[in-house]
Amino acid sequence: MFNRKSTVFALFVLTFGAYSGIANAACGNVIVAEQNWASAELMANVDKVILENGYGCEVELIPGATMPTFTSMDEKGAPDMNPEQWANAVYVPLIKAVDEGRLVIANKAPITGLGEGWWLTPGSIEKHPELKGMTAVEIMKHPEWFPYAEDPSKGAFVGCPAGWGCQLANAQLFRAFEMESKGWVLVDPGSAAGLDGSISKAAESGKTWFGYYWNPTSIVGKYDLQHVDFGVPFAGRDNWDKCITVAEQECADPKPSAWTKSEVNTIITSEFAKQGGQDIVDYIGARTYPGPVMNGMLVWMADNQAGGVDAALEFLSKHEDIWTKWVSSDVAAKVKAGL
Amino acid sequence: MFEFFTTFPVMERLSLLELKKGIDLSFRQFSRAYGDQIEAFFDPLLHFLVWFEKLLLATPWPIIILVIAVLAWFGSRSWKLVVGSAIAFMLIGYFGMWKDCMATVAIITVCTIICIAVGIPIGVVMSKSDRAQKIILPILDMMQTIPSFVYLVPILMLLGIGKVPGLIAVCIYALPPVIRLTNLGIREVDKETLEASEAYGATPLQKLTTVQIPLSLPTIFAGVNQTIMMALAMVVIASMIGVKGLGVPILRAISNQYLALGLMNGLAIVALAIIFDRITQEYGRRIQKHRDPQKK
Repeated sequence: MFNRKSTVFALFVLTFGAYSGIANAACGNVIVAEQNWASAELMANVDKVILENGYGCEVELIPGATMPTFTSMDEKGAPDMNPEQWANAVYVPLIKAVDEGRLVIANKAPITGLGEGWWLTPGSIEKHPELKGMTAVEIMKHPEWFPYAEDPSKGAFVGCPAGWGCQLANAQLFRAFEMESKGWVLVDPGSAAGLDGSISKAAESGKTWFGYYWNPTSIVGKYDLQHVDFGVPFAGRDNWDKCITVAEQECADPKPSAWTKSEVNTIITSEFAKQGGQDIVDYIGARTYPGPVMNGMLVWMADNQAGGVDAALEFLSKHEDIWTKWVSSDVAAKVKAGL
Repeated sequence: MFEFFTTFPVMERLSLLELKKGIDLSFRQFSRAYGDQIEAFFDPLLHFLVWFEKLLLATPWPIIILVIAVLAWFGSRSWKLVVGSAIAFMLIGYFGMWKDCMATVAIITVCTIICIAVGIPIGVVMSKSDRAQKIILPILDMMQTIPSFVYLVPILMLLGIGKVPGLIAVCIYALPPVIRLTNLGIREVDKETLEASEAYGATPLQKLTTVQIPLSLPTIFAGVNQTIMMALAMVVIASMIGVKGLGVPILRAISNQYLALGLMNGLAIVALAIIFDRITQEYGRRIQKHRDPQKK
């Protein structure tokens, strides 16, 4: 771990030491990935406003998602920046890209207090009070509490949409815990809308629901989803990186494990780190959203059906105390003037 | 003064927001109040879908291929098509897509049956009444052009994820052609033929079942053919709300840049489309030949 950190650090020094002289001279055109979920939309739009108003960049937002955006940044060097890269899904290639100097981790924790895992709707606990405090391993003994609509003799565990990084992890954990032989079906919700829809449908009608989600999200805040402890310890990075996060045919015997600690980074291309200059890299490094504030913003976005643009304006006007600490005072003044 | 011309007079932001929130809230209340009943209403459909998919999966594969081949023969009377269909299904199975393919065939078949059962009566009503046509045509236009993601949201809120909501999403898109072409076919039936049947004292119902529908069958069949094609085009969208089938691996392929996986499953959908298309088209053509003996 220290090795990795020092490599990253060395890269920072190498890359920016040489270019700090022309910092901020011309920020130029910047492409920022606006990934298709609320917190990423908010962050991308806040970055857009601050980079444009504060640092004179021309920012273009392009749509993205965890895997495609990372692949494109790694292979093609565009977009220049991904504000919210969930790193677990791309752990090995990300380290490789950083080591080989293509990508830079500009912020190791842009949001505090986040995590992936397995959750229950409050309605599940109301219906079956025994669920309170149960671990995932204990819940697995009761598939009958979560009947699957298409085959009520089985229990439904709602996994991750096809193509998300977490889909493989959920599928492998499903196998590691031998949930199929315990009477469970791994339901693929198909898309983000499908996953959210299945939760809100269950929560609104007080039905039971057991599945994968993550925090901070408006869904967790709004429906008061209850986090479930796995009941087994984290079984090591080797098991997680080489087995849980790869396809079934690449690793046949995953070991049961708790969910890995979630790591979210802001990553930028080395090209952009050079082009943008030290000031911008400093801003990205300092830009940390406290978890509760982010959760509050997400619920606000959901309540007001706000997109990233509106949310960024709301954040910048309501939470001045937070973002003005990320930038120097004259940049803060420029951003405020531009609002 | 000029400001009026350069900036569009837009609804006040807050009232617009209230309007949007109001619509959402009332729909949410509606779905809370009636969601369970609506779900219960569709329960038989769900059971049928699950049963049909299980039947397809439990049937030994040679029998499925045989059934497809027999269908192809009765539809087209062409050996080429029979052999081609059998080979296509064998390849789909050989490349490990059999299970997904059967799930897709199940949902497409049920969807086609529903569209025929709902669409032909609506088409008949439309052909009988110009006022009905004026009302229904714009609705059909909307069903065909509104982006499917738009109606996925209310369907999800009402029915959650799974086969039934997926089926409804597919049907919304696939239903219009069969309605349109039934309407067209009946309206195109020769006036003199109708007069002749009237002269023999046919009641309106007899006119419909013995003259108009039989004479417009080829056109109606073209509509059924289009409906099947459009249903297949919706397979991937349906997978976004949890329908199993060939769409799921395609979604996985899109997000992970699995070129081969996406291509194989995409081509499997194309193969299904071509087989269904050729069989129904040939069948439609054969009905027409029968009506037009001099063209033989």
